Amino acid sequence: MRLADAPKRALIIGGLGLLTVALAAMLAGCSAPASSSGGGSAGSDTVKVGAILSLTGPYAALGAAEKNSLELEQQRINSAGGVGGKKLEIIIEDDGTDEAKAVAAATKLIEQDHVVAILGATGTGQTMAARTVIDRAAIPMISMAGGNAITGKFDRLVFQTPWPNSIVVPFVLRKVAADGHKKVAVITDSSGYGKDGSAVITQEAPKAGLTVVSNQQFNPGDTDFAAQLTTAKSSGADAIVLWTAGKEGAAIVKQAGELGVKLPMYGGSGQAKSEFPTGAGAAAEGFVFGTGKSLLPSNWGTGTPEATLVNDFSQRYEAAYGTAPDIFAGHAFDALSILTDAMKRSGDMSASKLRDAIEQTNGLVGFAGTFNFSPTDHNGLTEKDLSLYRIENGTWVPVQ
Amino acid sequence: MASLAQFIVAGLKSGAIYALVALGFTIVFAATGAINFAQGEFFMLGGMTGAYLAHLGMSLPLAVIFAVLATAVLGALFEIVAIRPIAGGDPLRIIMVTIGGSVILRQAALHFFGPDEVALAAFTPGPSIRFLGAAIELQTLWIWLITLASVGGLVFLYRRTAFGAAMRATALRSDAARLVGIDTRSMVTVSFALAAALGAIAGLAVAPLTQSAFDVGAGIGVKGFAAAILGGLGSPIGAVAGGLILGLLESLTAGYINPLYKDAVALVVLLGVLFIRPQGLFGGSGKEKL
Repeated sequence: MRLADAPKRALIIGGLGLLTVALAAMLAGCSAPASSSGGGSAGSDTVKVGAILSLTGPYAALGAAEKNSLELEQQRINSAGGVGGKKLEIIIEDDGTDEAKAVAAATKLIEQDHVVAILGATGTGQTMAARTVIDRAAIPMISMAGGNAITGKFDRLVFQTPWPNSIVVPFVLRKVAADGHKKVAVITDSSGYGKDGSAVITQEAPKAGLTVVSNQQFNPGDTDFAAQLTTAKSSGADAIVLWTAGKEGAAIVKQAGELGVKLPMYGGSGQAKSEFPTGAGAAAEGFVFGTGKSLLPSNWGTGTPEATLVNDFSQRYEAAYGTAPDIFAGHAFDALSILTDAMKRSGDMSASKLRDAIEQTNGLVGFAGTFNFSPTDHNGLTEKDLSLYRIENGTWVPVQ
Repeated sequence: MASLAQFIVAGLKSGAIYALVALGFTIVFAATGAINFAQGEFFMLGGMTGAYLAHLGMSLPLAVIFAVLATAVLGALFEIVAIRPIAGGDPLRIIMVTIGGSVILRQAALHFFGPDEVALAAFTPGPSIRFLGAAIELQTLWIWLITLASVGGLVFLYRRTAFGAAMRATALRSDAARLVGIDTRSMVTVSFALAAALGAIAGLAVAPLTQSAFDVGAGIGVKGFAAAILGGLGSPIGAVAGGLILGLLESLTAGYINPLYKDAVALVVLLGVLFIRPQGLFGGSGKEKL
């Protein structure tokens, strides 16, 4: 028995040895081109930009699209000669949809990678959490999250590419009122975007002529929503407003269907991803949500600067990844486009000069609309960039 | 009244799932004296594999069966590769290995299946049925049926078959069992396969309701563990009772106090039981119960 084991053990040790050699060879092979292309000698011929994305966790679907978008654009920019003669290097960190990890990612990007600017985070809570690190390092940050607080609680270093809750919420609530509803039940997630939305809804509902009769939260990662839906149903509401960007949105709408909660439902940009109608199935039919016009590029007409830009980006994205870009891919595109535009105008890649140049962004046509920043407005989008959609046959169609 | 009925239905639904996961903890604990913290990952692998196979075009019943078998095989492999080399030693080492294993399984799933949530079709599509004013999804009936069948099958296996007797003997006293000719090593492997299969069944049963993703294992693992502790580790009936009690407590907390506090209930219950009654509500000294 023991004797028979000896050759086996030799075989295992030999195998492990071989594997180690093979791995070492692969690693050497990987690092060789990197060092020869001069990636190590940063400063002179490359400009480093950090990105904090939620590649895992409840916002994984958003982060994945943003990563696709950034990689596509990085490749395009570099093959066209880079920015101001320098090669653009985007270093992407995953925050796992976790605020503490977003802080760690920001610290790593600033202290180890010495990036000149940070794109992200994907989520509102993660963006707000990373702000302390950003402020200390005094480098500009362009967020891809839609919370109102991001530019509402003003920070001279922080900019924002999506339509914030402060313009999307009133836009959607007016539609709720126009559909003849008076009393609404609100369901939001307890993370940054949901909390932010809940506060804006409470504030804006009376202005739209609506009464909030029930306002409930759920935790990211929850899988059962019987409590919230049953309470919403018995609250006497005539409609439900759902405000979340997480994957739970689909499960809530699906469970509403299963539990026989037949109230009409409304939402925002969090539902503008294909995973929502796919995950919720038949229960999502008739769901109305408000988000940017670019969700359907045809909204921009033909021949307009917006239509040209959105169509060009959509075609390249689809050629690379096989699916049309969603709005989150667009927010990442905008963040990078605002940054590279500022880099070109400034010519100086220092963080403070870049911040000033970003703040002077004027009339830059992007995916989400036209960006006009000012010392008091770091978002610059308006309701004119928004549109309403309804889920029909598993996809979204414009609401007339 | 209708609300209360709805909360109870929701509680028994989550509770049945916790019970299935708790059973997995119980089986491995009986065989090794250790807690298998990778149990939640088997739950995840069941749902993800099932959805993946269905997506490839396999019919739903086949996809479900293959997913359970594949996860069971993986559970056995996990035992052979990671647990067997350190078997017979300190249970603490086994626990550490299962924690490491859970991280590896989760990351492997992330790379293989991707970061997105995946959906699985309902086992029988159709509208919910009404009972005392509460709506009960057909899938919930499936969950209850599957839990009942799993517990029944497990009790039958342990009590009525020679194979089950061998497993119980191994759990009671491993060295004595080996002396009478039982292959105790295989028994431990089989217990991991069974635990993995139960986890996979639970993951498949809820996937149509909640979708699945590579990272759902850790959360359900904590709930299943709390349920197993609550019922008394080592007792299948205790695991089921623990699961149902935990599900009901959570659902009533969510309905009548605040949905945000329902996860805290599991932890408070877990701590409370560990302090006041460490052997669990239904537990004796453990292994004899099996």
